[in-house]
Amino acid sequence: MADTPLEAVGLAKRFRRGWALRDCTLTIPEHAIVGLAGPNGAGKSTLLGLAVGLLEPTAGSIAVLGNDPWRDAQTLSRVGYVPQDAPLYRSLTVAETLEFARVTNEQWDGDLASELLLRVRSEVKVATLTAGERARLSLSLALGKRPALLLLDEPFAKLDPLAGREFLGMLMDGVAATESTVVIASHVVADLERVCDHIVLLSDGAVRLQGNVDELLGTHRLLTGARRPLGTIHGVETVVRERHSGRQLTLLVRTNAPVLDPTWSVDEIRLDELLLAYMAPERLPTPRSPEPGRLRWHG
Amino acid sequence: MAWVIARQHRLQLFGMAAIVAFAALATLVSSLPIRAAYHRHALSSCLPPTSRSGCDLIVSHFQSQFSVAGPLTRYFALVPALAALFVGAPLVAREFEHGTHRLAWTQSITRRRWLLSKTLVLTIATALTAAAIGALAMWWRQPFDALEGRMSPAAFDVEGIVVPAYAVCALAVGILAGVALRRTVPAMTVALAAFVLLRLGVEKLLRPHYLAPAHQTAAGIARPPVPREWVLDDELVTSTGRQISTSLQDQAIVHAQRAQIDAQQYMAALGWRRVVTYQPEERFWTFQAIEAGIFVVLALLALAGALWLVRRTPS
Repeated sequence: MADTPLEAVGLAKRFRRGWALRDCTLTIPEHAIVGLAGPNGAGKSTLLGLAVGLLEPTAGSIAVLGNDPWRDAQTLSRVGYVPQDAPLYRSLTVAETLEFARVTNEQWDGDLASELLLRVRSEVKVATLTAGERARLSLSLALGKRPALLLLDEPFAKLDPLAGREFLGMLMDGVAATESTVVIASHVVADLERVCDHIVLLSDGAVRLQGNVDELLGTHRLLTGARRPLGTIHGVETVVRERHSGRQLTLLVRTNAPVLDPTWSVDEIRLDELLLAYMAPERLPTPRSPEPGRLRWHG
Repeated sequence: MAWVIARQHRLQLFGMAAIVAFAALATLVSSLPIRAAYHRHALSSCLPPTSRSGCDLIVSHFQSQFSVAGPLTRYFALVPALAALFVGAPLVAREFEHGTHRLAWTQSITRRRWLLSKTLVLTIATALTAAAIGALAMWWRQPFDALEGRMSPAAFDVEGIVVPAYAVCALAVGILAGVALRRTVPAMTVALAAFVLLRLGVEKLLRPHYLAPAHQTAAGIARPPVPREWVLDDELVTSTGRQISTSLQDQAIVHAQRAQIDAQQYMAALGWRRVVTYQPEERFWTFQAIEAGIFVVLALLALAGALWLVRRTPS
C-alpha cells in the first residue's frame, strides 16, 4: 500500500473574505518531514483544514492517503492532526482526554500515547496544564492513532524555546515509532529548518516553491558582482531575484550546473533567505508569462 | 463513549440533578400546608365539585388561601425547558467558540455519530429531569386539580408527559441553533424565541382542536356547570343559534332593568341560550399524548436538521 500521503491538484478554497488558497498543486512524498512555510495568511491552515476534512474545497481536489477527506471520514483514522493552539477540553483531566481519543478512534494505541506523554500527570485537569504540556497532550492524541500522516498547525507558536525543544523531541520519538509522514506548518523558518527535509512554501494562497531542502539549497546560489547589463550566465536556469546596491549587483539564481564565471562571486544561500526571496511575489519571475527580455535567463 | 460525554458535560448534569433535588424539596415543603388545609376544609366532601350548598364557600376559602401558590407552579414549569435550552445551545456552539470542534471532528468518529452520541446522553438526562419535575408538579397540584381539573393550561402545561416532551424539544432546538449560528449567546436567543413561538403556537392554535370540543347549553344567561373542564368558548346565542353581540346583551339587560323584570328570565323568554364550548377533563391523558407526540416530532425534526447541518458545516 503506497498511497501518496497527500496530493492536491488545482486545489482552491474561497471564504467570504476572499481566496485563501488558489490553484494549489502539490505532492507530499511518503515518510518525508515537510515544512509548510509561508507568512501569516498564506493559506497554511486552510490547506491543513482541507486535508483533515474540516473544510470543503471550492475547486480542485485533495487526496489524503488516496481518499477524499471531506467525503470520507474514514480517512481520519490514519491521519493525526494537531490544530493550531492545541484545542482541548479544559474540564477534562489528562486521563479523560486520552479516554476521549480512545472512544472516538477505532485504532488507538493508548500505550504509545501515554509513553510519549512523559511527565504529565494523568489526573491533572487540562485547564491547569502549561502551554508546553498542552501541546504535548495534543500531539499524543494525534500520535496515538498511529497515523500514516501527521499534520501540525503552528505547533511552536505558543511554546517557549525549552518547551519547543521538548515538543520536538517528542515529535521525533513519535515519528520514529509510527513511521508517519509529517507536515509541519509554521511561519518561523528556523523551527522548520531543524527538522524538515522537504519544504512547501505558500504565499498569498499559492505554492511558490516545493522540494527537498538539500536539493533546493544545492541548486540555488547568490551571485555577487559589479553592476552590469545582464546577459546569459552559464549554469543559471532562472533569476529569482535581483538587487542593486550602489555599483553592486546581487542575484539569487536557480542553477542547473555549477556557475564558474569568474566575474561573479558565488555563495550558498540559507534556507530562510531562500524562502524569503520566494515569498515576495512582486519580485518573482512568473514562470507562465515571463516578462519579455529582462528576466529570461537560460544557461 | 457515554462516560466521556458525561464527564464533558458533568456541570450540566450536576445542574439538572440539583434542579430536581431543589424541586423535590420545594414541592414537599410548600405542599404540606396546602394538603393540611385541603383536609381541614373538608374539601373532599365537596368533590367532585357540586352545587351542594356551602361547597362553593369551602372551595373559595381554599382557593383564596393559596391564590399565589397555584400560579407559581406555572413559572416553575418553565425551568426544565429553559435548562434544556441552556444545555442545548452551547452544546456545539461552545465547541466552535473554543475551537475544540477541530479536535472532535478530526478523530475517526464521524461528525454525525459524535453529535448523535452527545445528543443522546443529554436527551436522556433532560427527559429524566423534566419527567421528575412534571411528576412533582402533578403531585403538588393534586388538591387544585381536584377542584379545577387538569385541562386548563395552568395545570396541563406543568403536569405529566408534556413536560419532558417540551424539554427534549427545547434541547433539540437549542442544539440546532448552536450548529447553525456557532455562537452561544445568539444561539440561545434564537432558540428561546423559536421555542416560545412553537410552544405558544401549539397551545393556542392546535391544542383546542385535538378532539372535537363538547358543548353544554343552558337557557338564559346562567352558566352551565363546567367546573373542571377547559372552557374554550362561552357565548350567548339566539334560538336560531346565532351569536349575540355583547352590546346587544347590554341593551337587553338595560331594557329588562327599566321594565323592572328579571334579566335572566327576560333573556330566557327571548329564547336566548348560553352555550359553553369546552374540552372535558377526562381527555387529559389523550391530550397529553397528542401534545407530547407533537413536541417529540418537532424535536426529531430539529435534531435531523442539526445532523444534516453538522455534516456540511465548514470550519
